[in-house]
Parts: sequence; C-alpha cells; structure tokens
Amino acid sequence: MKKLVIIPAFNEAESIVGAVEDIRKNAPEFDYIVINDCSEDMTAEMCKKNDIKVLELPINLGIGGAVQTGYAYAYRNQYDIVVQFDGDGQHAACFLETMAEALISQEADMVIGSRFIEYQGFQSSGIRRVGIKIFAFLTKVLFGEKITDATSGMRMCNREVIKLFVQDYPRDYPEPETVCRLLRKKCRVIEVPVQMRRRFAGTSSISFGKSIYYMIKVTLAVLIERLR
Amino acid sequence: MMTRQAQIFIVIFLLLVLAVIINMIKRRQLELKYVLLWMGCDIALIILTCAPDLMNILARMLGIQSPVNMIFFLGFLFSLMIIFSLTVTISRITAKVRKMAQEIAFLSERLDEEIKKRDIH
Repeated sequence: MKKLVIIPAFNEAESIVGAVEDIRKNAPEFDYIVINDCSEDMTAEMCKKNDIKVLELPINLGIGGAVQTGYAYAYRNQYDIVVQFDGDGQHAACFLETMAEALISQEADMVIGSRFIEYQGFQSSGIRRVGIKIFAFLTKVLFGEKITDATSGMRMCNREVIKLFVQDYPRDYPEPETVCRLLRKKCRVIEVPVQMRRRFAGTSSISFGKSIYYMIKVTLAVLIERLR
Repeated sequence: MMTRQAQIFIVIFLLLVLAVIINMIKRRQLELKYVLLWMGCDIALIILTCAPDLMNILARMLGIQSPVNMIFFLGFLFSLMIIFSLTVTISRITAKVRKMAQEIAFLSERLDEEIKKRDIH
C-alpha cells in the first residue's frame, strides 16, 4: 500500500520543517510532499535546504487548489491512501498510522481526525467551536450523518475519493463542503479521535472578519451540495 | 420623440462602434465569441433608432407606457446580461488556470528530479 501525506503550505517557512520532521519520525511508512502555494516567504528555500520534496505552484491557487494539486499528484503516482496534513504544526503525525488502520479495517472512504470525540488537545477558540457545531448540525440535518469535526484539515482518503477530488475540489474553505459531497455520494466517512496543537507559527488563514464570509459561503456551499 | 437629427447622429455613432468592434476582431484583439452579445446589442439599437415605431409597438407589447423607459430598461437588461456572461467566463477561466498551474507544478518537479538524477550519474 502506497501512502502519501500532502502538506499544503502558504508562508509556513517557520513551521514546515518541524511538521515534516514529525512525519519522518512518527509516520515513517508515509511518503510526503509539500505543495507550496506560491509563498512569499522562505518556504521553498527551507524545503530545498532540508531535502523536502515540494511541488511549486507558479501562482497562488488558494487552499483548495493547493490541496487538489496534492491529490492529483497522488492519483498520477498510484498512491492508495492520501492524508492531508497542515504545515503549521497543528497536526500530530503519530495519529496517521491509527487513521490508516481505521480506513482499511473499517473499509471507509474517508477518515477524519476529529478534535471533538475525546475532547483532548487544543480545542480551537470558542467562536470557532460555535461555527463547527453549526456545521455538525447542518450535516446531520441535511445528510443524516453525525460528523463532529467537518472542518478538520486532517483527513485521509482512499483511491475512490482521491479520484473524486481530482475531478472537482472547491477553491476556498473546502473541508465541510467536500465532506458533504462524499456523504451525498454515499461514501463511508468515519472519524477517529486526534489531538491537535496550537500552530507553531503563522496565523490562521481565517481572520475574524473573514469568519462571517466563511460561515455564509460554507453554509451556502453545503446547501447547494444538497441540491445537486 | 426623436428628431431626425438625433436619429442620424445615434445611428452613425452605433455604426462606428460596430466598425471598431469588427476591426478589433479582425486584428484578433477580441474573441468573436465574447463580442457577440455586444454586437447584438449594437445592432438592436440601430434597428430601434431607424424604426422608432417599432419601439412604440414593443413598448405597448411589454405594457410600458413610455418608449424611453423601455429603452432604459432594455439597456439595463442587456448590460446585466453582458456582465453575467463575463462572470461565467471568469469562472471557466479560473478552472482552466488552476489546471494549468497544477500541470506546471508537476512538470517542474519532474524536471528537478531529472536534473538531480543526471547530476548523480
């Protein structure tokens, strides 16, 4: 089984090496590749210096486009399992093996690393948790499945889903929307408990002002997904 | 009602615009596909100016009392249609640009690998 970690990175020079070290040490079974979304800082140089494999996007595509690049790379190179992993140090590589086991043994199409099953580790800020709760409620009502952490960026999928994502992937704030798409297509989405950390460095791509836009856009996207 | 003078002036102007558009298509500065709406709009206006009676009939048909109001309304509608078609085009182009950027990323990665391999040999 070929397994790949895809790490979308935009201005993560300070944390990217730490995140990759974490994977090298705690998930040695996995290959990894950084997708540099046209960073303005030293991300590319840091990767080169530390011999980290990297895909350089010539223009900034946004998180969705960067992640999709990773999926397309995985698809072409015949990977069976792909997991998304943040380059800012929020995610812990020691959970990757558990997620892969769950994916295989439970014959799931996607495994989401959820912060809200065991409620351990960094729990995200209060206002964001409210948003996550709203999405959990929406998914439950619209698709009849309980997904506690649809916004989690730590998600692993099999080849079927990789193929789907290569065909079509939302541009920004893709997580809840893609989960709903899989549910609509009757894919099996499961969650395993993980702990996340505070990011090593950098700021979230979602500032306070953007969070309103985020809520509206994602809610609409999820509703439209239901209409498809 | 329009005076004959205004009519002539407007038609000349519209014909000029049409000529400019066609000339730009000839020189490949414009893609015919995206200009069709503009040309349609221009020609419709020429017809309406030449035959103001048509305007009255049309206005009556649409239940609008003043033909001038109808012109404004139709003009607004046409503009919105053109803007909307541009939004559709942008969406399509965005998807294409994304695909190309990804392809470039793959190619340059492959190229780096090949160069590395050759350096080792």
